Amino acid sequence: MNKQLSELSDEEVIKEFQDNNTLEAYEILVKRYKDPLTNFVFRFLGDRDACTDVVQDTMIKFYLNKDSYRSFAKFSTWIYTIAGNLAKNELKRKRRRNFFSINSGEDERTPQIEDKAFLAPDKVADGVLKNEIIQKALLKVTPVYREVVILRDIQDFSYEEISEITGLAIGTVKSRINRGRAQLQKLLKNIYRE
Amino acid sequence: MKKLYSENDIQHEELIKGLKALPQIKAPENFEYNLMVRIQNKNFGEVLEERPKFNFVKFFAPSAIVASVILLFFIFYPPSGEVDNPLMSEPPVLDSQSVANNSNIINKQLAFKESIKQKQANVPKARASEKALSTDANSPSTKLRPPIPLSARQSVSLDDYISGSATNRTELQKGNVVKSGEEPSEFDGFFVREQPDLNTLKKYRATVDSLKKAQAKADSIKKARK
Repeated sequence: MNKQLSELSDEEVIKEFQDNNTLEAYEILVKRYKDPLTNFVFRFLGDRDACTDVVQDTMIKFYLNKDSYRSFAKFSTWIYTIAGNLAKNELKRKRRRNFFSINSGEDERTPQIEDKAFLAPDKVADGVLKNEIIQKALLKVTPVYREVVILRDIQDFSYEEISEITGLAIGTVKSRINRGRAQLQKLLKNIYRE
Repeated sequence: MKKLYSENDIQHEELIKGLKALPQIKAPENFEYNLMVRIQNKNFGEVLEERPKFNFVKFFAPSAIVASVILLFFIFYPPSGEVDNPLMSEPPVLDSQSVANNSNIINKQLAFKESIKQKQANVPKARASEKALSTDANSPSTKLRPPIPLSARQSVSLDDYISGSATNRTELQKGNVVKSGEEPSEFDGFFVREQPDLNTLKKYRATVDSLKKAQAKADSIKKARK
């Protein structure tokens, strides 16, 4: 039975979970989506602990509200919508915390991405450092643009799927991706030339 | 439109490659275990808690109440100390002036008392002979008359006025026979004399002069005709 379930598509597995309340079906979906969701939420929030909490909450929300899923939609878009909304809430909460906290996130202050005169080019080319710089630059992009850029360029979703996840028109999605990329390009002008 | 966005993809090709090359962040190893524990314990945390929607009235009601209370406090709270109105209060008097005034007043009072004593000393001598003459005729009436509880300044004896005996009274007192001294005289204010306009005066003078000349001419013509 387990083998059969693991071979089924997401939509079929969730149907099994909805119809028979099979916990194995739920576990299969958790296994399939825990890493992509973690990656998505981490790129959006930039905080590992918060990211794990958000993905946990996403899975619990999925467990509790399994019946609100409708079979005409893709399961991936549905669960990414939940994760995206929870991530946005977490971001708001985090901003509020930083606003009211005494040190106002002094420790979390990122170094200036644009001014990298102190970094040698060979070090910039180094993979780890480069990834860190990209991640920090990504966090400086406006959240509405950041979300669609992550979904498109990191998670490899199509425009239609992003439109479903975000609830935006395809044209809006495309323009937001474009603007997000432009912002990112500006922030990473020392690494990537237009 | 598609071309535009494909161009955009080409434009940011390196950036897109860099983003795709980012390492995949994986969930922690105990993720599923923790999740299942939470589900079994029904520890759903904040997921179940419905966030209350923003209510404008609920949000602003406390602040509005506080603001209105402060406003009412300032409107209706009686002032602790009476505020001195500079127009109502008397101006402060310097000590030197007050002392000088007091000494002047005291001196005047003393002088007035002395003059009264002198007058009183003179009056009995003059009236003694008059009393001696009129004691027989007026003695019963003078004894019966009760003392008038009115001051001499505020009361007027009508009998004296009718008989004409009140000759010592001043013109002012004579004029205030009725309601004399009962009510304070109304003060309408000082009369401010306005300076006449010199131009108008000249005009009037010129017209009067021309009229006089015309009259003189007319008289001379009449005399000549006669």
